[in-house]
Amino acid sequence: MSTVKTKKVQLGTDATASNNFTIYQPATPDGTLRIGVGNADSPTEVAQVTSSGLSVTGNLSVTGNIPVQNTGPAFSAYAGSGNVSISSNTWTKVALNSEEFDTNNNFDSTTNYRFTPTVAGYYQISGLIGTEGSGATTRTLAMIRKNGGEFKFGDDLSGNTHTGSNVGVNALIYMNGSTDYLELWIYMTGTSTHYNGTLQRTYFQGTLARAV
Amino acid sequence: MTLYEKIKQLKPELTDEDFAPSTGTIVLQNDSDGKGDYIREWNHPTITQPTNAELNGVS
Repeated sequence: MSTVKTKKVQLGTDATASNNFTIYQPATPDGTLRIGVGNADSPTEVAQVTSSGLSVTGNLSVTGNIPVQNTGPAFSAYAGSGNVSISSNTWTKVALNSEEFDTNNNFDSTTNYRFTPTVAGYYQISGLIGTEGSGATTRTLAMIRKNGGEFKFGDDLSGNTHTGSNVGVNALIYMNGSTDYLELWIYMTGTSTHYNGTLQRTYFQGTLARAV
Repeated sequence: MTLYEKIKQLKPELTDEDFAPSTGTIVLQNDSDGKGDYIREWNHPTITQPTNAELNGVS
């Protein structure tokens, strides 16, 4: 077995340079392997290979499947305290004091019950609140607050005389990855209003859909 | 007695619409931090916000 040591290898000898390819090391080695289109004397780089992976300059077209490992934050928190009484006509933060999973430790389930992701990007967020009242509840709303302010309203059940219902809210939300935070809030009117603190009926979930 | 109930007792002319999300002029809030309900906003055009003393006097 022989070993060839060289800085450039041209593949192809066509008279048209763009029909040939060159695998090369840059003039000043920097730990990268370059793949270019063109002859060895002046290739146009299209990709780099380093110890950490592959970087493509242009578009990447794949006919088959690419398994993607999304390591962005994902969480699922829920209210695990049984029925929680809330005051009628009063916006109340849902006390999500239990976690199903929290891959990046970005959910605070002990003090503020909020999601503060440490990776910037667009997050798909959803929440559901199971509510009940011993008498009729006449209005029930769910809302996501961002940084304490009203941000996304969800289901708004009005004019009903039901004693219980599930209200949800879903949204795609940009988060800056440092100070932005999200909370789940509930508003009810009626008698003996409360939400149901179980994994099945009251939860708040989210995952990074697209990093920036 | 909740804060809402105390306010209603002091200001019986208020209705649920005055507290309604988005359209109301009064916002009551509870941060679930153990400190209870409080008045976050009071922007009613004619009815004044009750004082703490008035609220504390309601039983």
